[in-house]
Amino acid sequence: MNLIPFLIVIPLAAAFFIPLVGKRIKISGDIISIAATISLSGISIFLASLIATQKVLMFEVGKWAAPMGISMVVDGFSVFMLVIVNSIAFLVALYSTGYIKKYTDTWKFYTLFMLMVGGMNGVLIAGDLFNMYVALEIAAIAGYALVAFGIDAEGLEASFKYAVMGAVGSSFMLMGIALLYSYTSTLNMADMANVIANKGASKIILFVSALFIMGFGLKAALVPFHAWLPDAHSSAPTPISAMLSGVLIKVLGIYALSRIFFNIFGMTPKISMILIGLAVISMVVAGILAFGQYDIKRLLAYSSISQIGYIALGLGIATPLSIMGALFHLFNHSISKSLLFLNAGAIESSMGTRDLRKMTGVLARSPVIGYTNLIGAMSISGIPPLGGFWSKIIIIFACIQADRPVLAFIAIAVSILTLGYYFKAVTPVLFGSKGTHLDNKSKPITVTMAVPMVILAILSVVSVLLLLPNTGRSFLDGAIAVLVKGAIR
Amino acid sequence: MNLLVNFLAYVVGIPILAGLVSLIIPERLKIVTRLLAFIVTLTSLAALVRIFILKPLYWPPVDTPTFTVDNLSALAGLGVSFFALLVTVYSFGYIEKNNGRYFGYLLMTLGSSLGVVFANNLIVLVVFWGFLAALLYLLVSIQGTPKAARSAKKALIIIGATDALMIFAIGLIWKMTGTLAMDGIHVALNGVLPYAAFFCILTASFAKAGAVPFHSWLPDVAEDGPASVTAYLPASLDKLLGIYLLARISLDLFIMNGISNTLLLVVGAVTIVFAVAIALVQHDFKRLLGYHAVSQVGYMILGIGTANPIGIAGGLFHMLNNALYKSCLFLGAGAVEKSTGTSDLSDLGGLSKYMPVTFVSFLIASLAISGIPPLNGFFSKWMIYQGIIELGNAKNPFWIVWLIAAMFGSALTIASFVKLLHAVFLGRASAKTVGAKEAGVSMTLPMIVLAAACVLFGLFAFAVPVSLLIAPVIGKSIAYIGTWSPDMATVLMIAAILLGAVICLFAARKRTRVVSSFVGGEDPDQFDRVAGTEFYNTIKEIGVLGKLYSKEEKREFDIYDIARRLMTPTARFFQKLHNGILPTYLVWCLLGMIAVFLILFLW
Repeated sequence: MNLIPFLIVIPLAAAFFIPLVGKRIKISGDIISIAATISLSGISIFLASLIATQKVLMFEVGKWAAPMGISMVVDGFSVFMLVIVNSIAFLVALYSTGYIKKYTDTWKFYTLFMLMVGGMNGVLIAGDLFNMYVALEIAAIAGYALVAFGIDAEGLEASFKYAVMGAVGSSFMLMGIALLYSYTSTLNMADMANVIANKGASKIILFVSALFIMGFGLKAALVPFHAWLPDAHSSAPTPISAMLSGVLIKVLGIYALSRIFFNIFGMTPKISMILIGLAVISMVVAGILAFGQYDIKRLLAYSSISQIGYIALGLGIATPLSIMGALFHLFNHSISKSLLFLNAGAIESSMGTRDLRKMTGVLARSPVIGYTNLIGAMSISGIPPLGGFWSKIIIIFACIQADRPVLAFIAIAVSILTLGYYFKAVTPVLFGSKGTHLDNKSKPITVTMAVPMVILAILSVVSVLLLLPNTGRSFLDGAIAVLVKGAIR
Repeated sequence: MNLLVNFLAYVVGIPILAGLVSLIIPERLKIVTRLLAFIVTLTSLAALVRIFILKPLYWPPVDTPTFTVDNLSALAGLGVSFFALLVTVYSFGYIEKNNGRYFGYLLMTLGSSLGVVFANNLIVLVVFWGFLAALLYLLVSIQGTPKAARSAKKALIIIGATDALMIFAIGLIWKMTGTLAMDGIHVALNGVLPYAAFFCILTASFAKAGAVPFHSWLPDVAEDGPASVTAYLPASLDKLLGIYLLARISLDLFIMNGISNTLLLVVGAVTIVFAVAIALVQHDFKRLLGYHAVSQVGYMILGIGTANPIGIAGGLFHMLNNALYKSCLFLGAGAVEKSTGTSDLSDLGGLSKYMPVTFVSFLIASLAISGIPPLNGFFSKWMIYQGIIELGNAKNPFWIVWLIAAMFGSALTIASFVKLLHAVFLGRASAKTVGAKEAGVSMTLPMIVLAAACVLFGLFAFAVPVSLLIAPVIGKSIAYIGTWSPDMATVLMIAAILLGAVICLFAARKRTRVVSSFVGGEDPDQFDRVAGTEFYNTIKEIGVLGKLYSKEEKREFDIYDIARRLMTPTARFFQKLHNGILPTYLVWCLLGMIAVFLILFLW
């Protein structure tokens, strides 16, 4: 039995059933979404084990062969992303059961959540560009709605901005896809790559490249296309922030971008230069912006932009080592940023505020929140032996290997900045006495909120195993191999 | 697993594992934690003695081993485990709560430090090195007070930043030599990249050891952190590691030339004089010691910067000696703070009566740090002076500058310790010190051991530490200028002291008379004690120095605060750009896209 279609069927079915029963049976949303995401992670991990030997898996919808029919393709890169997305979706769903209680109509939340997961899976397994676009829009629109889920002024404003900017980006993307279709007469990505390789480069490819860089760059929140992100990620309900920062920007932005530029167009020096330029601007500007933040979630949001910059830098340099660094950083950042957002939510609900200046004594009050936060912050600011250290060092070494010591130095400087803004913000929060401003609304976190944080913290400690030959290297290597094929030769 | 084959891996790994275990031992079973810490540190010291005898060693048995031991790393490793054991014993009396975490971090620090000194691979080195910064952060902030946490953060950010620079340097070295194995790297300093790599890796060693301008975390940590932690990390381990790295890069990894050596000499001289000048006017016991910890680093850097055998030997010997007396001083400070509850000099005084053991060991360590013969500090400083004079013989035009800086620093050190000794132990007791109790055996014992080591290392400097520990590192024979025979001098000095005592007993004593104090008709009770804090405050009135002090107080020499002051307005500027108006944001997107178009089509 081919499992690939289930990656879309399960979340969409869950999104369909939750409203049917969710209105009457309160807990059904929790149960269905946890069951759906856990089976999705199971399927992704199973597919990953298949990919290790088979390289590419295909499913042809309605038995129509590609390029005529619609195909779903899973290769090393998409399975790498699938495992990350679905596992984090599972942990976030688990966390949501505790967190989401403060809202009414939780079934709507879970419906939208499952739509978002389905949309992301759709992007990852789409074999043709148009289906990818549709899936991307599903995920994005679910995202717009979820940002506004709290229906507070902040969330609505953020959602509006996000929707408008997202729509602008999407329309440029669609225009690019249309132009590309007229040029190549196909939508299937593998086919398109062949046609472009045969026809050779032309002005239209350059034009489409620019449109895609803007469209997908906006989804990935590269500076200067980033302005929606800080608002959206900081005012969304916390589990959604974790999804947005942890995986959504990577799937909709980074994954799609690298699929197109590595596997359809093939990397060129100019595109590489543009990616590096955007990456450097993102790293530096967002890093500086994060320095001035005192809202814990806004700080994390800016930091996401800065870290996406690292990933884009690795992809832009486009050597095997730098791609490895980029993908590994993507992995680490997904884990530690979701961890930090979940953590911020836990801090927020136990403290009653998001203002870093007003919190103190988290460690004394709740060691679980305190230590997981510390691990997340250490991983993301690159303190050995946690995951973030290894991915940053690989990216830096890749820059130096590619004769770009200046880029390496910028990456170093931004990592110093990262260390500075995280620990400047985190230290006073963690330490100190339990605090005198105990909010009456504050309550201890539930077990379902603690467990995902602990799992993510453990993952960010052991993620270095992905680099070791016997433990997880093939998983990472499979993804690297897909992208290296399209790197500059 | 063969114990002998994997010996080095066990020596590094077991303390870290034991530390992880200790983290999860509950507070109720703190006796288990302490026992574990004691056994591990004791075994570790024993293992290091064995390693010291058996060197060279390596692990794993392949061509490019991960860990190797040579004379230099064996010396540093021996020091590391020695101080770990002493601080563990001291902590039994000093640490009250959070035993599991405290000893856990302490053991992990031991393992990681050994990892640093034995690492033969630059990546392994930087991993342990960076992990130590995190452990320092966790150890300093362990009591959870906001001030301690703030200092811990500062230490982490400064050291972490230089770690990042070190990674850059390692990347450059890797690019230039194609290897990461330290025993295969000898980079000649010519061209931009070698210099960039050298400077970046140098900052890491300076920040760890606490040299100017990366020193500013050290006094803060000394003031706010637990004294045992200060004695353990900034005073001993960080010095050993920082100077180990400095020696490693300047002796092995890079082929030094005149410019790089001069850089070391300048940093060393500036560090000595600047820090000790600041130390003079401090009014917190531990902060004052913190500045001395900075100042002493200058001697080691100066010694290594001379690049001649005697100077380097002096620098390394000073590294050991400094760790001995400086941790003794901090442990003494901790004992005083523990029994009086304060570290403010104006609240202390007269403790020699109540805490005699602490006083005597503190006195010995103070004399040692001030370079009074026949204690160890004198001997290593004397070797460094000889190294500088050797520079003069080699026609180095500035040798006199370095020599004056070193000697001037030494003079100021003794001056500030006169103040410190008076303010803490002599004079009349203050309200807080009356009836203070001597610390327990577990706290006094390490101090006694350290003070004894200061004396022995001074008395038998030639015979024991220099010939056994230091000379193998240098490899070449050390030529001494001038003669200094410590045993002879000691005999003379003891004779002089005895003579003085005799005169005092027979001649001077009878003439003392006790009268009530006369203070110009004022009520004498108002002037009952002279705290001694203000001894040197008048030097603040000297123009240049006054400016120096007021600037230091405003933290204008603090690289951390400078960076923060620069960052805040920059961040504010970018924040202002994000005005929340949607059309602005759309314009950015459009401009970005236009830029992409331009690059693609017109370039």
